[in-house]
Amino acid sequence: MKCTNCGLRDATTEVVVRRNDHVEKMFLCSECAKNFRPDMDMGSFNMLNKLVGSPMGLINSFGSLFGTPTQRTIICPECKTTSEEFLKTGFVGCPKCYKAFEPLVVQTVKKLQQSDRHIGKTPYGQIDDTDENTLKTEMQAAMDSGDYNRAVELGERLKKLLAKKQEDNR
Amino acid sequence: MNVFDNIIVSTRLRLARNIAGLPFPHKLSEGPARKIIDNVQSALSPLDRFNRYDMKGISKLEGTILQEKHLISPDLLEECPFGAVLISSDENVSVMVNEEDHIREQVILPGLSLDQAFDRVNRIDDVLGKSLNFAFDGRFGYLTSCATNLGTGMRASVMMFLPALTILNMIESSINYVGRLNMTVRGVYGEGSNAEGYLYQVSNQRSLGLKESDIIDSVKGAINHLVEAELRARQLLLRDEDELKDRICRAWGIAVNAYRLSTEEAMKYLALIRLGAFYKYIEISDVNAFQKLIVDCQPANMQKSGGLDMSADERDVLRARHIGKSLTSFCKKII
Repeated sequence: MKCTNCGLRDATTEVVVRRNDHVEKMFLCSECAKNFRPDMDMGSFNMLNKLVGSPMGLINSFGSLFGTPTQRTIICPECKTTSEEFLKTGFVGCPKCYKAFEPLVVQTVKKLQQSDRHIGKTPYGQIDDTDENTLKTEMQAAMDSGDYNRAVELGERLKKLLAKKQEDNR
Repeated sequence: MNVFDNIIVSTRLRLARNIAGLPFPHKLSEGPARKIIDNVQSALSPLDRFNRYDMKGISKLEGTILQEKHLISPDLLEECPFGAVLISSDENVSVMVNEEDHIREQVILPGLSLDQAFDRVNRIDDVLGKSLNFAFDGRFGYLTSCATNLGTGMRASVMMFLPALTILNMIESSINYVGRLNMTVRGVYGEGSNAEGYLYQVSNQRSLGLKESDIIDSVKGAINHLVEAELRARQLLLRDEDELKDRICRAWGIAVNAYRLSTEEAMKYLALIRLGAFYKYIEISDVNAFQKLIVDCQPANMQKSGGLDMSADERDVLRARHIGKSLTSFCKKII
């Protein structure tokens, strides 16, 4: 399959860009992938395609005719880090990368860490009020460390949760 | 020096944290990076008097001294132009800013002190967490620039002195064993299994899917295994006790009387003297002073005490004089 941007070289990379609620896909050669910016709008991308003689209509046909390309790249909308960079180095560029690359992150951390679920401490003020176990654990930790004000605060939240559960079960 | 103190040198516990809404340090520009340092400094101020060192303004010597004391990482000094460190007055707490993550809270305590180190770093974390908005995700936990630190962002490390396992070439199998317990073992002061000081750092690999207390327990388990293995190996060294005594007494003789000593030689002889204390060939009356001597002998620390214009040869002479004087003041050969 030829690159959907230049139409000259073979496509090696599938670029998937999330924009608001929809996903845009492109199949690019390594050169075009290098120059591609995720904030490029489809109008300017069409213009580029016209310049190199590869109309958008054909791009869609290529997509459906040639199936899965060799590589699939996702680009973080916030910091422009690519999924390839993440897979190569294990590093991401910003906290939002974890949402952008979530399926890849899950796959990677399961291998690295044998788990993909955090069960430890939560930041002050960011505890999930619907999770009874976390509230209990955090309250115990606060008691153990002598932070009684926090323990009382967590106790109140736990009380509310249990009351709500009882209400729901009626 | 009791058996545990002889084998376990120090404990280090660190938590990696980042600020929500900002790129991680390797993608961060100078302005926001400086702002993070200022905010961390201000958040820490109610806790203690923290000395701030910005990597941009620090001299190579001063930076290397902090590195030799394990208060900063080599990366912070060499790779992080917008990095800084805040160090508590007792030098047990160091908070690196804009290294691999925005914030690395670290507590170092002597001996095996995992619970105490966690209590202290956790208190610091609570204080910072009240005024800084940490990047956190319900599924992945604390978000870090590298996926290997996701979850708790915690690394619990224990520095161990393992001469017998090293001398008997048993260290590799011991490292493999604790590797299966999801631990990483690294030689300290740059060397691998041939570390001159026989010092190794044991730390957890996993930081996600475990509670902080589980990580501490797993490190304790690995440490206990290595302590037992080292003690068995120390018994094996006694099969040729004359050879062992000779090796340790020669080390004492050279360390106390040499005119010149390089860092590598100093590490090697001090390690054998420490081993001699275990067999009661040598008595060390002040363990902390002995530990400080090891840090004092590192090149940058030596340079600082001797003067900036010293040559490497002059430093070796000063090192030999310092070691000789120190050892005779708090150590005694008793065989």
